[in-house]
Amino acid sequence: MEKACIDINELVNVFSNTHGSVYQSDKLNCFYVDFGGKFARFNCISLQKIKKVVEQIDIEALLLNTKRADFELVSFNGCEHIYLLNALEIVALKDLLQGAFTMFKLNHLINDCLFRLVY
Amino acid sequence: MKDLMRIKCLISQDIETLLNQQIKKEAHSSSLYLSMASWCNQNGYDFSADYFTKQSEEERMHQLKLFKYVLDMGGNAISPEVTGIKTDFAGFREVFEDALEAEIAITQSFKNLASRCHKEMDFVTMEFLNWFLKEQREEEYKARRALELFEVIGEEGTGRWEIDKHVNKITYSED
Repeated sequence: MEKACIDINELVNVFSNTHGSVYQSDKLNCFYVDFGGKFARFNCISLQKIKKVVEQIDIEALLLNTKRADFELVSFNGCEHIYLLNALEIVALKDLLQGAFTMFKLNHLINDCLFRLVY
Repeated sequence: MKDLMRIKCLISQDIETLLNQQIKKEAHSSSLYLSMASWCNQNGYDFSADYFTKQSEEERMHQLKLFKYVLDMGGNAISPEVTGIKTDFAGFREVFEDALEAEIAITQSFKNLASRCHKEMDFVTMEFLNWFLKEQREEEYKARRALELFEVIGEEGTGRWEIDKHVNKITYSED
């Protein structure tokens, strides 16, 4: 989805690094990943899946293999988006998604403490 | 900010991963028991073949129970790939030794899962796991008792024929 179609003010910035950002839309119950020149929409399941795919890439093997370029296609079956990333970009995307999921956990703890456990 | 991940799913990703690993282990056990049933049948141990076929069905039922739980809680249940099933056994006794070893591994895996639930204070999953922990008492008891028949009866003469006849009669009672 194009960035221009979305009102950025309605999105919550979950986590950012130097390469991109992850946003959450409370209105549409979905996430947006701004990375590698794409502004891609994900639901909960697809965001978990893309994180798993990125984490499963063996970056060390990618760098040590001299017979192929250090590029990797990042996607999964049924995913609307596809990323062609080099090793450094994979590290950056991994960092971005792990950071976002840490923030989800933190948000969950805060929600528990402030709202769910007080009444 | 809405807690979207929690709204979507009751269990954490770590617990979901462990439950999916458990689903795979149960599927592996089910296939292993079926392989044991095949070996027993081919070698003339009819009662043991029936016993292992029943065990295989039970493990499959456990797998589906875990599978349903992950889905019911909003998680992603993964249908596992089962490979590397042992098909050849050195002898009748080895089949039962492997069966007990498989049950011990499953118990250990459930204990690990329960430990994680305590750590995360996921008492919902813990309560669900209690059924499996109780089930493991019976599973291990039956596997151990079956192996003990080799000591009690002995393999000499018609020993193996006698053991085969007794395997199906092993029952577990809490009382």
